[in-house]
Amino acid sequence: MVSGRFVLKRVLLLVPVLLGVATFVFAMLHLSPGDPARLIAGRRAPESFVQQVRVELGLDRPMYVQYFDFLTDVAQLEFGKSYQVQQGEAVKDILINRFPVTLELAILGQIAGILFGIPLGIISAVKQDSWTDHLTRVGALTGISVPIFWSGPLLIMLFGVYLNWFPTFGRIGTQYDVPWVTNMVILDTAMYLELDAFISAVKHMLLPTLTIGIYSMALISRMMRSSLVEVIRQDYMRTARAKGQGSRITIMKHGLRNAFIPVITVIGIQFGTLLGGAILTETVFTINGIGTLVVEAINSSDYPVVQGTVLLFALLFTLVNLGVDITYSYLDPRIEQ
Amino acid sequence: MSGETATDVEATTESRSLFDRIRSSPFLSDLFSNRLAIFGIAIIVVMLAIALYSRFFMSEAALTSSKLSARPTKRFLSPRPAFPFGTDLQARDIFKRVLYGAWYAMKFGTITVGISTFLGVSLGTLAAYYSDLVDNVIMRTMDVLLSFPSLLLALALVAVLPEEWGLWRATLALILVYTPRFARVVRGAALKVLEDEYIEATIAIGAKDPRVLIRHITPNTLAPITVQSTLNFGLAIIDLAALSFLGFGAEPGTPTWGMMLSQGVDKGLLSGFWWWSFFPGLFLALTVLGFNLLGDGMRDALDPRMREAVD
Repeated sequence: MVSGRFVLKRVLLLVPVLLGVATFVFAMLHLSPGDPARLIAGRRAPESFVQQVRVELGLDRPMYVQYFDFLTDVAQLEFGKSYQVQQGEAVKDILINRFPVTLELAILGQIAGILFGIPLGIISAVKQDSWTDHLTRVGALTGISVPIFWSGPLLIMLFGVYLNWFPTFGRIGTQYDVPWVTNMVILDTAMYLELDAFISAVKHMLLPTLTIGIYSMALISRMMRSSLVEVIRQDYMRTARAKGQGSRITIMKHGLRNAFIPVITVIGIQFGTLLGGAILTETVFTINGIGTLVVEAINSSDYPVVQGTVLLFALLFTLVNLGVDITYSYLDPRIEQ
Repeated sequence: MSGETATDVEATTESRSLFDRIRSSPFLSDLFSNRLAIFGIAIIVVMLAIALYSRFFMSEAALTSSKLSARPTKRFLSPRPAFPFGTDLQARDIFKRVLYGAWYAMKFGTITVGISTFLGVSLGTLAAYYSDLVDNVIMRTMDVLLSFPSLLLALALVAVLPEEWGLWRATLALILVYTPRFARVVRGAALKVLEDEYIEATIAIGAKDPRVLIRHITPNTLAPITVQSTLNFGLAIIDLAALSFLGFGAEPGTPTWGMMLSQGVDKGLLSGFWWWSFFPGLFLALTVLGFNLLGDGMRDALDPRMREAVD
């Protein structure tokens, strides 16, 4: 069982890390070469506007006052407003609107990765050193070596341009007007039972999902294999077989349960990498999520948007890691010590 | 008599062939009996050769400038004997540009991984050796850097660094992203070394801190660092290309794989000019695969449990 004390300790440890994250983001703006007011107002903004921003945001005040103001704002998830990308809109609102798009993509990719990666890893481990194993391992290693911004275009080329089976950009056909509740296309179209729109959404999301999924599948199958190979070598596995249990049952009953622990960690830790993958996938398939938002914000030097996104993702990333730690200690109580 | 024996021993050590030396080292013999690792080394050697050849025997300026005025009808040519990888929007030879890209990948990969390894080793060793305050300051800072998803941290850093820095902007951002990974591994390895008695003995006979750190601790943490550097080399090449792909790398026209991919996908993909992005991506993926194969092999060779399994 997970003790309340362990969870509490882990949650309390989050406070200094998150404080550090906020401090780092604050420092980044103020220590970087160049004037913070200009960075926020935009590189090409006229001087009068830069001055206006400086006064508006209080960038002319003493540094420590700015720092505490910044911390107070961030604690309330107030990230300021956009000056370029969506002028005048609160960064928080932009993020609430865009984040589900990226999340949906990451979740779909993760599901695809788990569905294919885990069985492949198990087969590879059980048939260790066979041809199947070698093929799976090389395949997985290739999967993590191929950049998403290459595999995505290849899929577009093959299934979009030559075979013309799937659309090559966007999340859903433009003719569908489904009320956006969660802003996740597949979920929303399914909720409103709009079959045509749902099919269109699935068709649009298939190639992006596959693009992220290949990468995720490769990572998960590698971890699944090495973890199960380790477990198969343990004494209790030999004992189970020695008492006459079939090897399939042994692997299912004793092997997988123990081998899953590190795999769950990888699935959790991978979340950060997957978000990075989602950012790149969005640019390849022109999907308007967080990724395209950040790129657009950097290009038009809309610093508050970049800052808000980075803070939000660091928070999420830290929370996911906390979740992984707690799950881990639930599965393997020795961790708490 | 005894003097003679000493020279004899030296002589035999000298005359031992490279092959014997490899055989006597469990790490190297494991590594070289791993066919996949050998394949990885082969890829890396070929890419290095291509990189050096392009750097010294090809002119970058000729590859960067537009060829439209020289051969106006030769744009978007599909692969053919004269242009094995085809030509792009400005009638440039993609084959030559892809070759030159190897130089950029190797150069900036080495700089990124080299500097972050150096910083990571220094910080990690210091943190392990001087516990408490130094350890806390260094490692908590590293924890903060590790709390960001890496591509987003790199993008945030790119956003505050001057645009004029070009590819160096991406490189500097990635050094900051990679250093904590090395620091963490090195600190762990150094802590293990510190438990050994010979360190205590070295300190007892009066060795000063720098000597203990540089002569005794760092050499004993080299193995895990080398594995980490190799695996991260592949990642660094991908990340550098990713930043270029998103538009935060070198100036347009520079023959880097990321830049070529970006243009090829942006302007060539839907028009069917597949070769424009296909070949730079292929070379990029192959190089990364090479480093991953080698890194994986090194990790297996270092892991004593794997060795038992082989025996």
